[in-house]
Amino acid sequence: MTAILSAEGLSKTFRTPFSRREVRALDGLDLQVASGEVFGLLGPNGAGKTTTVKILLGLTHPTAGVARLFGLPASDPESRRRVGYLPEGHRFPGYLTARQTLSIFGRMSGVAPAELKSRIPELLARVRISDWADMKVKKFSKGMTQRLGLAAALVHRPDLLLLDEPTDGVDPVGRREIRDLLREEAARGTAILLNSHLLSEIEMTCDRVAVLRKGRLVATGRIADLTAQGFTYRFAGTGVDEALLGAFRESGAGAERVNGHVKLTARDAEHLNALVDTARARGVLVTELTPVRSTLEDVFVDLVNAGEAAEAGGTDDALRPEGSPG
Amino acid sequence: MRTLFANVEEVFREAAARFTLVAYAALSSVFIGLFAIAVNLDIVDGALAGAKLFGKELQMGPRSVDLNKLVLGFESGFSGFLYVVATFLAVFATAHLVPRLQEKGTIDLYLSRPVGRVKLLLSRYAGGLLLAGLNVAYLIGTMGFLVWWKTGVVHPRFFLGGAIIFFTIATLMAFAFLVGVLTSSTAVSIMATFAVFFLAAILSGHRQIEAALTAEWAAALVRGLYWALPKTGQLAQVTVDFVSYGQLSRHTHEIDRLAVFGSTGAFGLVSLALSAFLFRRKDF
Repeated sequence: MTAILSAEGLSKTFRTPFSRREVRALDGLDLQVASGEVFGLLGPNGAGKTTTVKILLGLTHPTAGVARLFGLPASDPESRRRVGYLPEGHRFPGYLTARQTLSIFGRMSGVAPAELKSRIPELLARVRISDWADMKVKKFSKGMTQRLGLAAALVHRPDLLLLDEPTDGVDPVGRREIRDLLREEAARGTAILLNSHLLSEIEMTCDRVAVLRKGRLVATGRIADLTAQGFTYRFAGTGVDEALLGAFRESGAGAERVNGHVKLTARDAEHLNALVDTARARGVLVTELTPVRSTLEDVFVDLVNAGEAAEAGGTDDALRPEGSPG
Repeated sequence: MRTLFANVEEVFREAAARFTLVAYAALSSVFIGLFAIAVNLDIVDGALAGAKLFGKELQMGPRSVDLNKLVLGFESGFSGFLYVVATFLAVFATAHLVPRLQEKGTIDLYLSRPVGRVKLLLSRYAGGLLLAGLNVAYLIGTMGFLVWWKTGVVHPRFFLGGAIIFFTIATLMAFAFLVGVLTSSTAVSIMATFAVFFLAAILSGHRQIEAALTAEWAAALVRGLYWALPKTGQLAQVTVDFVSYGQLSRHTHEIDRLAVFGSTGAFGLVSLALSAFLFRRKDF
């Protein structure tokens, strides 16, 4: 797949004007997002997530490195022709109605007024605010404002969506609707970069994630790979007895009973298959064999803690710039 | 062009939603309305033979008044009044355009569109200018029409005087944009622009001020400021003179037209260019 968003060695240092104190917000970030991919950007506060998005949109100028959208430098306004953006805490002009907001921002994105006539009602219906189409934005609740923001990001049918906390202030039903909408967009080939503190949202929505800490990439990869716990499986079957568990342990596997099933840890895939063969040879009917995963939150907390521990020890060895935290 | 029209539309929608503009339009209309209803003139052979104010007869004296002179007097006085009022109201009505654009949570929405920063800023400047221009045109146009309706006298230069007011507004609005880009504060933009307006007006007497100063550096500073700032004092004089006498100034020895318009225009252009340059470089 072709990368439609890329960052190479992206760095940003903020300097306070009088004290000349420097804050390194981003430090050599490399990132790629392909079309149709839903990519999550994670990190604690001050990790550089928002700075990354702002550089990608040309809102902030990088100190070093290159950011590209659709092959064009992020500093070129034309690179944003096919980009939809929903900023965190966005504030649309309160004196505009939802319809007027979409009309003005649609035209600023190059959509013809004639096309907007059909596009605006369609979008308002899609984000479920049709009934408030002609109400001033200042009267909107936070959830409705968020839905309008999403509609404004989609008004010009973008091929890349950058969303900062898209479900912020939205009720659980609305969150599901937004997740479904994002999935629909991804299915039609739209790449999505999602920036959220809600790790469960990221876990449910994203294909890949990157974890940032103090401006550096500490892990990136598919969620399934990041959350996998090696070859640890939840194993269950009829006739599983202590003799079988003993046989498992003798072969070098880890085997312990947990809440009515066996937590089985093999060395590798071949070893796992051998364990299954052993069970089958003893007449066990295997009813469940599923990989045990950490939650994304566990992985995230481990990565952040590892970074802090490395810092305290004066080394960054605990941090891996690429791959799973395993 | 879509960006320009979208921005201009937004400026007008915002203006419509703001009390300042509503008050401006209402006050202007009340002023015009009062003139239309209250003043009744009795014109005989092109001269004012009698006049009524709110239905009450005014004493005209034994001789009739030359209507042309009377209308010119009114128009020149009104253009001087309008120069100050329209400029102030224009600054009030448009000084928020950049600070509000630069607000956190708002600027991202605009800059994430495929629009260059300079184009975005200039589109808003054009919107503000159009708004202020329409206000000036409304006041001068309607008043000119009423004068013609009441007296049958038309002086095209009364309408053209509005162009000088518009030029002053364009210059000061450019400076308000510059302060807005630098400070993101509407209040500071308004105060700084009015400070320039008054300081520049005071500096129209720079020769007298310089003569009164003993230190050469202070005199040089006054002279430098005079040349750097817009000539708001002289432009007011030029507006009145133009409407009254049909020439930019009857005091040509005192007011160098080229210097007045040239240095004021240069101030506006530099302010606008600088605001575009800084807005383009700014991190949000």
